[in-house]
Amino acid sequence: MITRFITEIQTAFNPFSPRAKSARLFLSFLPPNARSSGMNITTQLLPRSSTAPSKLYVKFKDGKELNIDADNMGIKSIIEEVDRHSRILQKADDLAAA
Amino acid sequence: MPPRLRCTASARGLTAAVKPSRPSAALLRPSTPAVTSAARQYATVSRGLSLPDDYVPPTKPPTARPGETRKAQLLRTYTSLLRTTPVVLLFQHNNLTAEEWIAVRRELKAALDAVPATGDASADIASKAKIQVVRTSIFDVAMKLVEFFDPSKVEPTSAPTASGKRVKVTYNHDLSKAAWKAVKSVTMGETKIPETSTYAQLSALMVGPVAAFTLPAVSPQHLAAALSILAPSPPQFPAPTRKKNPGYHEPITQSALQKLLLIGARIEDKAFDMEGVKWVGGIENGLDGLRAQLVHMLQSAGMGLTSTLEGAGKALWLTMESRRTVLEEEQNGGKTEEKKADA
Repeated sequence: MITRFITEIQTAFNPFSPRAKSARLFLSFLPPNARSSGMNITTQLLPRSSTAPSKLYVKFKDGKELNIDADNMGIKSIIEEVDRHSRILQKADDLAAA
Repeated sequence: MPPRLRCTASARGLTAAVKPSRPSAALLRPSTPAVTSAARQYATVSRGLSLPDDYVPPTKPPTARPGETRKAQLLRTYTSLLRTTPVVLLFQHNNLTAEEWIAVRRELKAALDAVPATGDASADIASKAKIQVVRTSIFDVAMKLVEFFDPSKVEPTSAPTASGKRVKVTYNHDLSKAAWKAVKSVTMGETKIPETSTYAQLSALMVGPVAAFTLPAVSPQHLAAALSILAPSPPQFPAPTRKKNPGYHEPITQSALQKLLLIGARIEDKAFDMEGVKWVGGIENGLDGLRAQLVHMLQSAGMGLTSTLEGAGKALWLTMESRRTVLEEEQNGGKTEEKKADA
């Protein structure tokens, strides 16, 4: 996953729900130095009785915001979705550098 | 292409070498009495030859993997852990580096050692507390085994010994067929895993990278100390101050703790979420404190009961009494009014 262009991530999930899987896996895909390299990550753990849907909000360097339906999407499609925008930014970045 | 040559003699020789009925002298050596009586007896029944004791079949070379990371050994470790350890906190760890793990373990050890000793067991608890990364899939199987497989209920079977005698043996270890059947009977097929079982509640947690913090006894003080390091929540479990514990505020430790998420716990074979863990950690004075609370609650409940039972009688008495005074006053009042009228 391309994480270079993500500036903010907000997640909220109930870990006791099987639907929290993709939100939790998304967090585990972030690199070890994500926070020190300027990414703002907030995680809210919902109580066990909560039935609220898992939330996954991603903000990019160019201000684009993504609200991902982490309840119904698998981790592969979430990564695909995030990378789709990241690749656009990477392309622009490469062209500017060249 | 060279012409194909029929070479029946050598082919016959090859099959003869491969066939077990005619073992070649290079592979098999003449048996000695000691070897014949051992486990390899079946190979020597007809010919008086046997495989060497250190014979390794070419299709099954010895593994190069260290023993403690083998799946079978991991499963045994985890079942033993789950059977003996009452407190298991489950954390999600998101890509912690090696030196971040070292920092976490250092801070955890310092905090646990600082817990005031209440008995002989206290020092032991601190030294045996441990945070370790677990293999989720195998931990999942281990949880099933611990909950659904009862080794004491396995029937003994008869098995042949080396001397040919049949003896009664009970195969009830965690890798046995009985264990496998017990688990399969619950998890496979039509029947659903009961919602009330601990496994059904905790199995959703077994996703992604999981680390387990284990305490060898239910000690709320130690749990509170660990929580104030691993998952601080200010009013009840405050993080150590910068002055008291500068190591905790180092950037490496901080970045490690930001990546650890307390997702759940298994305390005394029950599933707990974060609030439940906080409740257990917040029990004052340990189990004795909890007992004192219970005694106090029962006492106050008894007092409440007597006052409630008394209350109905008292209320009746009060109403009757007030009614009586009202009636008396009316009578007296009437009299005074009459007197006034007379005057």
